[in-house]
Amino acid sequence: MIFHSLDFIAFFLVTLAAYWALPLRAQNVLLVVASYLFYGWVHPWWPVLLFATTFVDYWSARRMTEGPPKGGPSQENTGTDSREGPALAGPQQSRRKAWLWISIVSNLGLLGFYKYFGFFAGNIAAAGAALGWHVPDVTLRVLLPAGISFYTFQSMSYTIDVYRGHAPARTRFIDIAAFVSFFPHLVAGPIMRATNLLPQVERPRQFSAAAARDATVLIVWGFFKKLVIADNVGVIANKVFALESPDFFVLWAGVFAFAIQIYADFSAYTDIARGVAKWYGFDLIRNFDHPYLATGPVDFWRRWNISLSTWFRDYVYIPLGGSRRGPWRNAANIMITFLVSGFWHGASWNYVIWGAYHGLLLVIARLVPRSAKREGGWLFRVAGMFALTSVGWLIFRETELNQLWRELRLSPVASTALGRDSGLYLFLLAGLYSVPLWVHDLWAEFGGPSLVGAVDAEEAEVHWPRVAMQAVMCGLMMAALLTLRSSSSLNFIYFAF
Amino acid sequence: MTGRVLSLAAILAGTLFLPLGLRAINGALPGAAVRDSYLPSVETPRPREPFDREAANAVREVQPQFVVIGDSMAGIRIDPLQLSRLTRTRVIGLYQQGSPVAYWYLAFKNLVVNNDLESVRGAIFFFRDDQLTTQVQVAPGSLDRVALDREPELDRLLAAERLGAFSGVHRAARVAYQFDRTRLWLEPLINRAPAGSPELLQAINTEVFALDKLRKFEAADLAAATDAALDLPASVERSLLPEIIRLAAQANIRTAFIRVQRRPTADGPPPQSAALKKYADDLKIYLIAHGAYYADDWGDPDEPLSLYADGDHLTADGRVRYTQRFAEKHAQFFQ
Repeated sequence: MIFHSLDFIAFFLVTLAAYWALPLRAQNVLLVVASYLFYGWVHPWWPVLLFATTFVDYWSARRMTEGPPKGGPSQENTGTDSREGPALAGPQQSRRKAWLWISIVSNLGLLGFYKYFGFFAGNIAAAGAALGWHVPDVTLRVLLPAGISFYTFQSMSYTIDVYRGHAPARTRFIDIAAFVSFFPHLVAGPIMRATNLLPQVERPRQFSAAAARDATVLIVWGFFKKLVIADNVGVIANKVFALESPDFFVLWAGVFAFAIQIYADFSAYTDIARGVAKWYGFDLIRNFDHPYLATGPVDFWRRWNISLSTWFRDYVYIPLGGSRRGPWRNAANIMITFLVSGFWHGASWNYVIWGAYHGLLLVIARLVPRSAKREGGWLFRVAGMFALTSVGWLIFRETELNQLWRELRLSPVASTALGRDSGLYLFLLAGLYSVPLWVHDLWAEFGGPSLVGAVDAEEAEVHWPRVAMQAVMCGLMMAALLTLRSSSSLNFIYFAF
Repeated sequence: MTGRVLSLAAILAGTLFLPLGLRAINGALPGAAVRDSYLPSVETPRPREPFDREAANAVREVQPQFVVIGDSMAGIRIDPLQLSRLTRTRVIGLYQQGSPVAYWYLAFKNLVVNNDLESVRGAIFFFRDDQLTTQVQVAPGSLDRVALDREPELDRLLAAERLGAFSGVHRAARVAYQFDRTRLWLEPLINRAPAGSPELLQAINTEVFALDKLRKFEAADLAAATDAALDLPASVERSLLPEIIRLAAQANIRTAFIRVQRRPTADGPPPQSAALKKYADDLKIYLIAHGAYYADDWGDPDEPLSLYADGDHLTADGRVRYTQRFAEKHAQFFQ
């Protein structure tokens, strides 16, 4: 089921009404049933995979923390900070590690089978052909289940946290099932940690009108970003990337449009997810913090897809040694982390190159002296980082490597007058649609009172001027949704990952 | 507590009621005369082109015995005058480039079946692959010239296809907010604003994004994209095909459905997936069972690549050869 459908709105209203009429335990059961229904709406076999992931990780975590041998440490006192797992007796530790590996292998195996099988089979066949061997190119005709990259990572983080002693293993399967399948963020994140979301699943929740109010603003803002901004500029990007030999200016106008599209699209999903979750009494983390106002690569990754970048930081970069083992090892760790992150996005070489590109930017940024980073003024640094990010988006969007190489070598000198004018037109059109996004981000960046989302949902007094402003904004956004919604309704981009 | 609930109500009220201002904006702006749509379930009142009475009169004057209906696939294959000579019958072509099945249906209904024609014996529809049962959506205004004041069958079908179980909600929203009318002037305004001149927009559409500037689709991608929709039993009842057949039977008009061959490769006919082949087989069975004549050009050795100009279109010489061969091959239909 997709958010921008009347099916979903009906589903949301019915589920919500039932949800607040039930006690906690029944609420969690309802959430699981609703989430499986949401996920299996179009493809009824997808929930089977979701259940398999949930069951394996639930069971692995339980087995990991089963009572220690006589005289061993108790389950509750099994270490907290150690990255290598709590200090346990040899056999106990081996068993924990074995169950951790069962969880990791099953999650990555599922992901690998559905997402990467074709990629590896195709590349092995191509490599074989290059060597003169005939290797059959086996193609799986199976649809990639939406959100599989997100929920396997979220579920896996639970078993890793249990292994590390950061979270206790849960005994109630329904709570783990609700944690893994919680439908608002199931398909495109944000990826929540067990330490954050599981306690929310387990504790009693109360309906809050103030939270619902701010949730509504978030949802309307999310729909506006998706249907008015992302889908309209997405049409421009799609047209440009359908060209065989685009002009330099047309190409970069298309890249600009794609930069707006992917941010508006992905952050829209997050905002709708956060808003919907709030109506159910849950708080999901912010996934974007005005990323196009970043002043450098490190700053960018603190603001873009925060839940995924912190996941890779905590479960890949830091276990590799982070920055603790010298500058060379640190550079290698950054590159490995970003290569894996790029590959996570899709089974295609352009994503790997995109990851490598961002890894390289970060490595170079670490070499630049701190004083030099502050030169040039804020606007210059923001524009510079946006330009670097846009080069990355070209790599990300262009799946044909030959075409990518040709496009990277395009020269403005070879451009025609029509190419220049067309590029300017497309750039201005994408810019026009994205004005609300820039205004919002600049407003928030410079400390304006938040008009979208909760700042003080539980404050005793209602701040009426802000509410009035929000009501007018929601009305205007709704009017724009009705009149400017793109006739080409595109899927959320991150559904593909 | 009351304040919080009121603040929530204020947000919901702003979201739902402020857009009603679109009605006032629409009313205040000068514009073309607005008429009720012939598709009231999916469109609000809007300016429309009138039904083409001249075309209807012209068809009536000719009193054709056979009509050929379709988009450029038909137009680029059949020369009606040549076919008339070859079959010794009166043949006319009702062609509209890029038209959907809904256009063919309305042209057949309003220009042929309900146009006081006494001598029509047959209607021949040309289509690509799954076009007859999957192409239901229509752009606003694209059917104006062949639509009467009310088109209830098409309206019902489009409402079911486009709006699903919630067509009533959509209809209520359209009536309440009148957003279609705002969209008619606002969207072009935004799209034109950065261009400066209409010539630039024209050049962007016809030169920068011209068909021959686009990347070639890979056959595999195309097949994968289409295969999911290739389910005749599931799609036929949601299409206009049964209505076309019913109308024809009612008017005692024979129908022929010709599946055109897509552009072949140098080595032979274009590849078609197993799903497409099954769909074509099912369609053939369905049409023959309903008394229609069916022919499939796929794999016809008389349609080599040399007959094609661009895409699935034939050359001018190819059109002459195709028409001639068509008259010979399907002579029985013209008896």
